[in-house]
Amino acid sequence: MNEGDLIRSARFRKEREADWKRLERLVVEAETSGIRRMSFAAARDLSALYRQATTALAIAREISLDKALLDYLEALTARAYLSVYAPQERVGGVVRRFFAQSGPQALRRSWLFILIAYLCLGLGALAGYLLYRESTAWYHVFMPSGLAGGRGPEATTEYLRSVLYDQNPDTSGLGAFATFLFSHNTRIAFLVFGLGVFLCFPAILLTFQNGLSLGAFFALHVDRGLGIDLAAWLSVHGVTELSAICVACAGGLLLGAAILFPGERTRRDALRHAGRDAAKLAIVAASMLLVAAFLEGFARQLVQEPATRFALGWGVGLLWLAWAVLAGRSPR
Amino acid sequence: MIFRSRKPDTRLPADEIMPPEGVPLKLPVAGLGVRFGAQIADVLITFVGALAAFLLLIALRATDPKSMLAIGVLFFFLIRVPYYVVSELIWNGQTLGKRFLRIKVVAHDGGPLTTHAVVARNLMKEAEVFLPATLLLTLDGNAAIPALLGIAWILATLLVPLMNRYRMRLGDMIAGTHVIHLPEPILLKDLAAEAPTGAASAERFTFLPHQLDHYGAFELQTLERFLRVEERSVAQSEYANRRATLAAIVDKIQHKIGHADPVPPAEHREFLRAFYNAQRQHLEQRQLFGDRRKDKHFAASTEDE
Repeated sequence: MNEGDLIRSARFRKEREADWKRLERLVVEAETSGIRRMSFAAARDLSALYRQATTALAIAREISLDKALLDYLEALTARAYLSVYAPQERVGGVVRRFFAQSGPQALRRSWLFILIAYLCLGLGALAGYLLYRESTAWYHVFMPSGLAGGRGPEATTEYLRSVLYDQNPDTSGLGAFATFLFSHNTRIAFLVFGLGVFLCFPAILLTFQNGLSLGAFFALHVDRGLGIDLAAWLSVHGVTELSAICVACAGGLLLGAAILFPGERTRRDALRHAGRDAAKLAIVAASMLLVAAFLEGFARQLVQEPATRFALGWGVGLLWLAWAVLAGRSPR
Repeated sequence: MIFRSRKPDTRLPADEIMPPEGVPLKLPVAGLGVRFGAQIADVLITFVGALAAFLLLIALRATDPKSMLAIGVLFFFLIRVPYYVVSELIWNGQTLGKRFLRIKVVAHDGGPLTTHAVVARNLMKEAEVFLPATLLLTLDGNAAIPALLGIAWILATLLVPLMNRYRMRLGDMIAGTHVIHLPEPILLKDLAAEAPTGAASAERFTFLPHQLDHYGAFELQTLERFLRVEERSVAQSEYANRRATLAAIVDKIQHKIGHADPVPPAEHREFLRAFYNAQRQHLEQRQLFGDRRKDKHFAASTEDE
């Protein structure tokens, strides 16, 4: 049967079939070895043939009733689409870009929310401190039982001091590290972030409550003349850890604010948009928690001198601040 | 009125996405069963990885029994989170489990899958299932309310995909992605392009235009499917059965279109091939003139309008 005898759609197919077969081979090559490893000519042909195939598909939908052809073209263009629009990023590049640019930029963009989070924590701590001064009974209201580890108004000053300068902890460094991560504060950080979606309120409340227990705890030690020692003890990991909670809280607030005040967008769109920065804040908070766990698990037992503890804790805090403020600025 | 009348649905069908080229592509949405299967495969892979690292640690005696559980959970976490993100970045939206089951993550809006989307959907997976589950495991037995809350949260997040037609998790919604079946391109040969077996058959059967006005695309494609199956060789026992089907179809078509010439049984197949070609040519031509005939009821449906 010669060309002229074929019906129109069969001719259409016959003219393009070789190109489609080539595209099919290129798609398989791109999927198995990645576009990055393909030759220039192959990569160029892949995208050119893909665009031809989409055109062919659009035409075929209009002129052809050949089910086999339609199914094939649908599947082929879909596969080619997936490999042409594949992400072209290296994993190392992604990590570097996050810590060098997008992480600190997201922190700077949401400075207001971070400030609000710090304010919640600070006000909570102040309130907890003053309330404890008024009556020590407040301590048990603010402090979740079990968290303080027997450190309460009833404990002796000697005991409180011994916990702060514990030379021989009963768990290994790694054990303490792991226990820390899944202990109270990580849970808090996770909760303040996740609960922010519910109109900010639970995130603010929880951060404030965390501040209350911190304030009461601090007041207890000041009461016994251990204020400086506690501040030093807490500084080692607390600066990083409480900042992580604040950053997580800011992420939660960002999501909640997007639902409360979506502006011109629909709420779902606003949430998706806020999610871009909130996810970055969550990653920053998670890495801060990891550092804090490292400091608590390994560094705190090694460093016993209050002055060194201060220097270490606040030094690390300063590094975080410098990173957030200075990193990733475009050169002008 | 409480219920506003809904706007007419102008969205794309659920199984189509619109790439930047502007030609909607058909990518069927993956069901929950297959996604659950892929998830189980991934959890097993990461769990075995974590277990290996954990056993290594025990062999090195770098742990103490008190914090064993916490360390195990930590290892699982530290292996799991990067595993999902990195594998979906490297393999363009596929983890190993998804590769086994041939499903894939795509961007909902038809653009490329961004790093942010991959990170967001996998971090949300932590928040949706893994972290509440971990908390449940580490909670002490007498904390009933947090445990119940945790279970309720996990159940609620597992129900979310059932509520939308793209089967999106919460993480998919935030990242703007959904999961699809990878389509398989298989090109079958064109029935109309092959030379019919009988040399004279093209002239042997002729159909007049009014005889081709009875069927639409659906009937044509059903006939196409039948002809493709019919070509395969069959067992001897099936043969008589198949001849009978063929004869019944030929009889039905002849009756419907008013084709009076008798067709000998030996030429049944050639008749159907010739009819397929003529019918397809006719319908495609009508379609070019804007007369799309979906099925044999096309005449009734146009009269209604």
